[in-house]
Amino acid sequence: MDVAIQEVVRPASIAEALATLARADARPIAGGTDLMVQLRDGRRHAACLVDLGRLGLDGVRRDGDAVEIGAATTMDAIAGDAAVRDWFPALASAAGQVGGWPIQCRATLGGNLANGSPAADTAGPLLIAGAGVIVVAAGGRRRVPIAEFFLGPGRTALRQGELIAAVRLPLAETAAGRRVVERFVKVGPRREQVISVASLAGRAVVGRDGALEQVRIALGSVAPTPVRATAAERALSGRRPDAVARRDAARAVQGDIAPIDDVRAPARYRRIVVAVLLDRFLREVERG
Amino acid sequence: MVDRVTVTLTLNGERRRFEVPPGRRLLDLLRDDAGLTGTKEGCGAGECGACTVLLDGVPVTSCLVLAASADGREVVTVEGLGSGALHPFQEALVARGGVQCGFCTPGVAVTGAAALARGVTGAERTRLLAGNLCRCTGYAKILAALDDAAEAVDAPA
Ligand SMILES: Cc1cc2nc3c(=O)[nH]c(=O)nc-3n(C[C@H](O)[C@H](O)[C@H](O)COP(=O)(O)OP(=O)(O)OC[C@H]3O[C@@H](n4cnc5c(N)ncnc54)[C@H](O)[C@@H]3O)c2cc1C
Ligand code: FES
Ligand code: FES
Repeated sequence: MDVAIQEVVRPASIAEALATLARADARPIAGGTDLMVQLRDGRRHAACLVDLGRLGLDGVRRDGDAVEIGAATTMDAIAGDAAVRDWFPALASAAGQVGGWPIQCRATLGGNLANGSPAADTAGPLLIAGAGVIVVAAGGRRRVPIAEFFLGPGRTALRQGELIAAVRLPLAETAAGRRVVERFVKVGPRREQVISVASLAGRAVVGRDGALEQVRIALGSVAPTPVRATAAERALSGRRPDAVARRDAARAVQGDIAPIDDVRAPARYRRIVVAVLLDRFLREVERG
Repeated sequence: MVDRVTVTLTLNGERRRFEVPPGRRLLDLLRDDAGLTGTKEGCGAGECGACTVLLDGVPVTSCLVLAASADGREVVTVEGLGSGALHPFQEALVARGGVQCGFCTPGVAVTGAAALARGVTGAERTRLLAGNLCRCTGYAKILAALDDAAEAVDAPA
């Protein structure tokens, strides 16, 4: 069945897109893998859809000391990109686990973020990378740190009429003799085509003595937004990820999350899953 | 009455022009406007893969694609997979008994053909098929057919 819209606009430039998006009844559409479902179910309404497919917002490029990923880049392209796989393996891994392959060939990075779901799988990898979201509006551009982008379920820092143009990930050089372990793992009823019950993105830099010089942990589906697990990170800082440190981290991480009961899982289960995912990640870091 | 939009596609190799309502899904354009009913609607929500078609060479769930977004692009449906004959994966599905009720088959055939075109093997090939649900076969015969087809594609007789 047709979705209930009155108009679709297919602009050829960002300026043209922004001009239409100034209308209160207009909404951008990228891959449509969230929006088409929401329009169908009546969870969202729009009189006018602005198709972002012709704006040249797709592609991954190296820009100085950062990698910039266009908002319209698909999950399939991100998962297969050599620079992303080398520098940001957690992001490549997450992109390859969004839905199934036909979803990944449509779903975009910008749509995943703008949809504002606490379960957005690319959010955790971007949080541990310290990424910036490049936002454009008729008045100019601004850069929103990913940690300030998500405001609540379905709510983001984007204002009416604004577009995500790209996401910028700073490259982190690793000093000699250091070991980096970066992972993304999600838990759900099956591996593909499911929204995460909980997910963890982790990045650890291990010194020659086996101690954690840096550890960043982000969690999905266990709070109103994707979150950095700062209490767990503090508990681990400078320590070897041995059994004692892992136990302390598993305790600390409970303060980082505020899971709810929903159709996918009870809150109590999510708390246990987070502790297990964190423990597994840290064991992997310890083993090397 | 809302205005119609023009959607021009290269559909199974042929240039076609459609005038459709702005909210038309690619799935409905294919089935109702183009009369290509091979593509099926299962869930209508991106979850089952029955509606999978190739858009510029990659598989997409056509129930979530706005027809207008596909304007100017190339679409291949199950009807256009093989050139004139069946695609090797379709042949293998028949030979292996990878088709039972057949409802998932058009989507499975399209995704499988795209996976073969990408040249991936083993677990990666299986991963690419994971968005296409089948309630009948248990998947083993579908995956066996994909292996057979990969050999056929690699070593044409
Ligand atoms: C079967 C299925 C399985 C899924 N599995 C997962 C999963 O495992 N993990 C996961 O994280 N998600 C999953 N999703 C959700 C969805 O696929 C992703 O969130 C996807 O990345 C959304 O991108 P899109 O381009 O399709 O967005 P769209 O649906 O086009 O847009 C989503 C929202 O973002 C806005 N928007 C899009 N692009 C921009 C932009 N550049 N600037 C401003 N606003 C913009 C739109 O207006 C809309 O509100 C799944 C969806 C389906 C149907
Ligand atoms: S009908 Fe499109 S994925 Fe099920
Ligand atoms: S053959 Fe019946 S759903 Fe696959």
